[in-house]
Amino acid sequence: MKVLVAVKRVVDYNVKVRAKADGSDVDLNNVKMAINPFCEIAVEEAVRLKEAGTATEVVAVSIGDKACQEQIRTALALGADRGIQVETEGAVEPLVVAKLLKGVVEKEEPQLVILGKQSIDGDNNQTGQMLGALAGMPQGTFASEVVIDGDKVNVTREVDGGLQTVALNLPAIVTTDLRLNEPRYASLPNIMKAKKKPLDVFSPADLGVDVTTHLTQVSVEPPAERQAGIKVEDVDQLLDKLKNEAKVI
Amino acid sequence: MDFTFSEDQLLFQDSVRDFLVNEVTPERIRASWETASGRDAALWAQLAELGLTGLTVPEELGGLGMSELDFILLAQECGYVALAEPLVHTALVAVPLLRELGGELAAQWLPRIAAGEAKVIVGLEHNLLVEDAHVADLLLLQRGERILAATPDQVALRHNESVDPSRRLFAVDVAADAAEVASGERAAELATRALDRGALGCAAQALGLAQRMVDMSVQYTSERQQFGQAIGAFQAVKHHMANIAVRLEYARAPVHRAAYSVACAEAVASQAVSHAKLVACEAANLAAKNCIQVHGAMGYTWEVDLHIFMKKAWALANSWGDAGFHKTRVGEHIFAEGAALGAGATFA
Repeated sequence: MKVLVAVKRVVDYNVKVRAKADGSDVDLNNVKMAINPFCEIAVEEAVRLKEAGTATEVVAVSIGDKACQEQIRTALALGADRGIQVETEGAVEPLVVAKLLKGVVEKEEPQLVILGKQSIDGDNNQTGQMLGALAGMPQGTFASEVVIDGDKVNVTREVDGGLQTVALNLPAIVTTDLRLNEPRYASLPNIMKAKKKPLDVFSPADLGVDVTTHLTQVSVEPPAERQAGIKVEDVDQLLDKLKNEAKVI
Repeated sequence: MDFTFSEDQLLFQDSVRDFLVNEVTPERIRASWETASGRDAALWAQLAELGLTGLTVPEELGGLGMSELDFILLAQECGYVALAEPLVHTALVAVPLLRELGGELAAQWLPRIAAGEAKVIVGLEHNLLVEDAHVADLLLLQRGERILAATPDQVALRHNESVDPSRRLFAVDVAADAAEVASGERAAELATRALDRGALGCAAQALGLAQRMVDMSVQYTSERQQFGQAIGAFQAVKHHMANIAVRLEYARAPVHRAAYSVACAEAVASQAVSHAKLVACEAANLAAKNCIQVHGAMGYTWEVDLHIFMKKAWALANSWGDAGFHKTRVGEHIFAEGAALGAGATFA
């Protein structure tokens, strides 16, 4: 079984992001970039399927400029067998990403596509679902457990108030939640081996996809700064403030 | 000549930093203080799994066959998290010494080190006490003009307290039946090179420790408010931090140059190492002093993590040759008749 994993280059989760002075975007100058944490979980799950003998090949795909090859190499160091970059310039909206991934799916014909449920930069949580709709494939989103069962995949989903297990016919799409697994660290020998693994580059035209954006980013603003706390005189005053100001009781 | 680090070396540094910062937290270090050995077997297994214990082990013996120069940035990262496990010692001192001793000893122990199954600790007479002797599967001990290989049943250990609670120091008495693996001039040469590598490891860790203390203090002074603003905005506080930054920046190049010198077995390796250890430990000591200052009274407390890094910096400054020893070596080099000095002689 071939597994396709999508990985996205994002600002490292440890970095405190700042908006540009003109509010046009997030300032990415000299900021550490990394593989999106949810995508890392997706790679780990695919590699575990391969180690279990369920998957035969793991292909990591990323969409972006040349810099995103760094994240593909990370996925290769974690255990993916080969990489694909779809080379684009500038920001790409979720619908275009889904269309490009559909093109890759048609080329590679994987039995399973695993994506992060969302990226930590845009927080859109759309790509997996859009890809499912475009490719006509069943989807199990927010997965906390993935079990291959013959020609089906059982996906346990994290939903409000509990867990829901769905059985999907393969080929299928899974988007990962935080608790699906704990990704491994890439070992130094595997980092070296990753440099020798194949990485193909396609253009959107190769996949027959128009990357025209339908969204315009109007502005980016940092969240309001937290106000300093105050000391209350007694419990009664605390209760009064919780009830009438915070309105939490 | 291109002296910038390669893409691979920087990639390794990034990967190792991610691992160490996530796994070797101050909480985990404090927990290790409460254990009898002070060492974390699970962490050692993880380090081996990542390939770090075998980084300088030859490829044919299960390692990655890399040099001291390849490890130097990783040693800085070990300092950044105040790693207590003897990884720097393994990669920079024990493995190269075993490599140089060669023969059956190397063939027997290097694959086990690479696999994380064994720890080999080197004890030179220059260091009165041997760190981590209690977890060694094999000790290589300098005794006079000989180097002996002793198994744990051939040594008696007496524990000594250290200023750094992460360190486990021992006086080692070795039994008469320990095997001699080198003697005479050869043993002296091996011991000198081991001393250089140990000092180089201290220097690299000192850079990491200094950077960590700076980072902690920058964060603290950016958050701590006084007189209506963050204390980092006051010039007196800025000067403390800027002085460390300058000292640290000027210490990096000598450390990297010394690593190159050791890896290439240059004739001036010892002097380069001494220079590196002096400036790196001075930077770390200044960082410890100034960072305590900018933290104010709470910097002295047990609860604030700063002392973890400060005490390790103090301990490293006096390990593998103190400042006096290394100044003497640099002095002998500078004042030697016909000494090659100046920019033109840097890599002559």
